[in-house]
Amino acid sequence: MLIIVLRRLLQAVMVLLFVALISFLIFRYVGNPVESLLGQEATVAQRAALEEALGLKDPIYEQYADFVLRALQFDFGNSYRGALPVAELIALRLPATLELAMTSAIFAVIFGVITGIYTAINRGGFIANLILSTSLVGVSLPTFLIGVLLIWVFSVELNWLPSFGRGEVVELGWWTTGFLTASGVKSLILPSITLGLYQMTLIMRLTRAEMLEVLRQDYIRLAVALGQSKRQVYFFHALPNILIPVITITGLQLGSVIAFAIITETVFQWPGVGLLFINAVYFVDIPVMSAYLLLVGFAFVVINLVVDLLYLLIDPRLRDGQLKRGAD
Amino acid sequence: MSGNREMVAPLLEISRLSVVLDKRHQRFKAVDDLSFRVFPGEILGLVGESGAGKSMTGCAILGLIEPPLSISSGEITFDGVRIDQDASSIRGSKISMIFQDPLVSLNPLRKIGDQLVEVIRTHINISKAEAFGRAKTLLAEVGIDPGRINAYPHTFSGGMRQRVVIALALAPEPALIIADEPTTALDVSVQAQILDLLKRLCRERGTSIILITHDMGVISETTDRVAVLYAGRLAEIGKTSAVLKNPRHPYTKGLVAATPRIDANSFEKRLFQIPGAMPDLENIPKGCAFHPRCDFASTQCQKQQPPLFEDRSACWLSNEGSETS
Repeated sequence: MLIIVLRRLLQAVMVLLFVALISFLIFRYVGNPVESLLGQEATVAQRAALEEALGLKDPIYEQYADFVLRALQFDFGNSYRGALPVAELIALRLPATLELAMTSAIFAVIFGVITGIYTAINRGGFIANLILSTSLVGVSLPTFLIGVLLIWVFSVELNWLPSFGRGEVVELGWWTTGFLTASGVKSLILPSITLGLYQMTLIMRLTRAEMLEVLRQDYIRLAVALGQSKRQVYFFHALPNILIPVITITGLQLGSVIAFAIITETVFQWPGVGLLFINAVYFVDIPVMSAYLLLVGFAFVVINLVVDLLYLLIDPRLRDGQLKRGAD
Repeated sequence: MSGNREMVAPLLEISRLSVVLDKRHQRFKAVDDLSFRVFPGEILGLVGESGAGKSMTGCAILGLIEPPLSISSGEITFDGVRIDQDASSIRGSKISMIFQDPLVSLNPLRKIGDQLVEVIRTHINISKAEAFGRAKTLLAEVGIDPGRINAYPHTFSGGMRQRVVIALALAPEPALIIADEPTTALDVSVQAQILDLLKRLCRERGTSIILITHDMGVISETTDRVAVLYAGRLAEIGKTSAVLKNPRHPYTKGLVAATPRIDANSFEKRLFQIPGAMPDLENIPKGCAFHPRCDFASTQCQKQQPPLFEDRSACWLSNEGSETS
């Protein structure tokens, strides 16, 4: 058990080092950092001084090691634009993105799992079919269109909810939260739905498919034949057995929600890292881009690590290091 | 059926049961006009090739038939109560079931003790601690160390898991257990152990068993009476010893002859095979369903479906004295 956890941790570190390598290579070889920083008119002496200062003359592996060590201390260099430290820029905007991603993920998981189970149990029923066909809309409409539609209905026509920004935020140390003010919470609703709708339909369809599959298993048939109630069959026997695939997909989706909140953040002018990244791309702000890459890689790795550990918690066969069902 | 048996009230009575499959405006009979009885404490074997309707009969008794299958006619009575419309009052509590493959019959994510407690508490109104104690007793009775009550299914072998499944089936203290090929998935040496265990525990408790199998060897070792099914119909029924020693229906004869025996000359002889295969639901022949495979078939067999003669055999030949037996 401990060995499995340690092995997973080691894998996570390896993946992060690899992401850091790509991030480093982008920084080092996409464009010329010296020209980007100094511009065309710099003298040869200035260039040499900066190359020395940036350590560009050192061997490549030393530069990489230096990059990793500095990244570990949240030092990603300065933004080309405005010359602010990249870490500071990201820290300023990260809470907005994380709060948005978390809210939409929780929304997606809760509604996705509930409707998934409902549509599986009441297969072929009127409401179940209605939910299923509506969910097709959720899958097929592009995010920006959903966002714009929601703004049109709830902000423009009904004037219930704000159409852009985070509303008022409260500062808790370096973290800013919108959860503690009415306008902050209101501002979260539309972007969360926009961002989470696709994930919700995905989780719902997955939950439904898994549930239907599990309900065909012999241990379910035996439980029914032994007279156990529907509640026992669905929640004691079936639900734990669908958790692994559902958690896997939820984890992957949470990663992409954080990474690709860009569109939603653009539509709602949400001051998160996605917007920061778009601007960085626009101005070829390489340090910001490479730091963003590292951040997203880190988010994915952490989420997957948590997912892996949850597997162990759910499935006793994996705890015993036994991967195949029925292998005695 | 022997005379004194008829004095005892049957535990389960199936009369003229038909189960149909509805498929694109057509109806096919999966179980056709089947009648038999199970008496308290007896072990009845249901034997036949795959697709003969054995398992479906078992499912029909527990009310586990689902569309596109349905019970189209007939009655199932348990202890004097009709259960063919609603079996929920007996499902698990009075009649329980054992499936073929123990490797997939237990929930892989739940401890065996929790699964036992769950079943016990569904049917018997006792506290969790008491149910836990009962679960331990049951495990000991099926030959599993009660200390392993908190183990997960994957830590047991196939035979051990089938023991756990037997404990599950016995947990609600049913009067009848339907065992659907309980040993087919197991090693031969384990098969005998499991059958002995099931038989012993049911004899001790006076529990009846319907043992569904395709193995005549299992039938002869385990059952008191046997019902031979062919294409959803009853071919022959009677005391196991009588049916096996003196089969009246040509199909039963075929089954008996096709059972391998291990003795000195078995190496020289080729094993008997019944020619042909059982018809599928959609192409059941007219008359006696077995006639295309029967060496003794007459024109009557092709035209008219034989009734059950002398409560024993559904074959026109068995009506003409017992020259075929």
